[in-house]
Amino acid sequence: MPGNSTPQPAPVHGWAGHVPAVLAGLALLLGLQLAGTLLVDLTGLPVPGAVVGLAALLVLGARWRGVAVRAEPAGAPLLKHLQLLFVPPGVGALTQLSTLVQNAGPLLLAVVGSFAAGLVVAGTVLQALLRRRASA
Amino acid sequence: MSAVVHAPGFGLFLTLVAYLGAGELHRRLGRPALLAPVLVAMVLVAVALEVLGIGYEEYLASVSVLTLLLGPATVALALPLLRSGRALLADRGAVLLTLCTTGAVSVAVTVAALELCGAPDDLVLTTLPRSVTTPVALTLGVTIGANTTLAVVLTLVSGVLGATVGPWLLDRVRVRDPRARGFAIGVVSHGIGTSRALAESDAAGGWSSAAMVLNALAMTAVLPVVARAFS
Repeated sequence: MPGNSTPQPAPVHGWAGHVPAVLAGLALLLGLQLAGTLLVDLTGLPVPGAVVGLAALLVLGARWRGVAVRAEPAGAPLLKHLQLLFVPPGVGALTQLSTLVQNAGPLLLAVVGSFAAGLVVAGTVLQALLRRRASA
Repeated sequence: MSAVVHAPGFGLFLTLVAYLGAGELHRRLGRPALLAPVLVAMVLVAVALEVLGIGYEEYLASVSVLTLLLGPATVALALPLLRSGRALLADRGAVLLTLCTTGAVSVAVTVAALELCGAPDDLVLTTLPRSVTTPVALTLGVTIGANTTLAVVLTLVSGVLGATVGPWLLDRVRVRDPRARGFAIGVVSHGIGTSRALAESDAAGGWSSAAMVLNALAMTAVLPVVARAFS
């Protein structure tokens, strides 16, 4: 297991000077995704392998800071430009506009309704709970 | 000309140019939420494919590297959560209770609205992953048997709604705590809403990305169970 709970001296670089930090980070993220996929395959969990990888990075990164630091050089640009990755499925979605228009009424009601209800419930509940905790 | 248009890298080039151009346009116009770069880029690419006579299958093969990156990007969602971990852990009771209540209300309203309209079951399945961040929604959609491309559009609609009317609606119901505002936006409108919450304040942005990831984790566990009733 790389790293431990002691402070890292020069954390922003990858494993070694000659390994590009971005590639090392990408290898780590892919490795976690594949480990997640393997686990899903073995256990038959109805969960995407990448989400298991997310949970694994959460656990490992909370325990060993070095793991999160090494994932960062690949993770940060990926998250910053996450929207680029949605362009291809979005283009595919535009080809399905007819299904969308056919069911526009019910879909609009469901999406806007659950959006508004969810937003208001989340905001008011969390604000009330945080306020009660602060005054307690 | 045809050799260039059908070269293996053309679709990827087109996507990158459209994304960068849409981002630049967005920045110059003062970041209007309705012209979110992802929406503009989608339309630009779709129009270009139509005009140049490139099929969607051929385009998908060209951009397979982007599709591949969705996996590691999903894993990387743990990073913002690790950054705001301490604050969240201190208020974990409030966070968990809010997450469960919101999830229940959101799923109930979605199902009720579609059932009242007499919509077919597969449409319900497609609408369920709506509030989950797109990379997770895509894989989750496949797991529960949703129409994934349509699910992506609905995800984008939720994101844009969160970025445009979200802050306004929160003002109406007097939610002023930046943590609660950020969390509410993240839970219903994931990445696109989160980028808007980040513009409000660091606290709102941090709580928004945390809400987005926690919601994705919770929905991944819950939706397959809910989906069983409709398939």
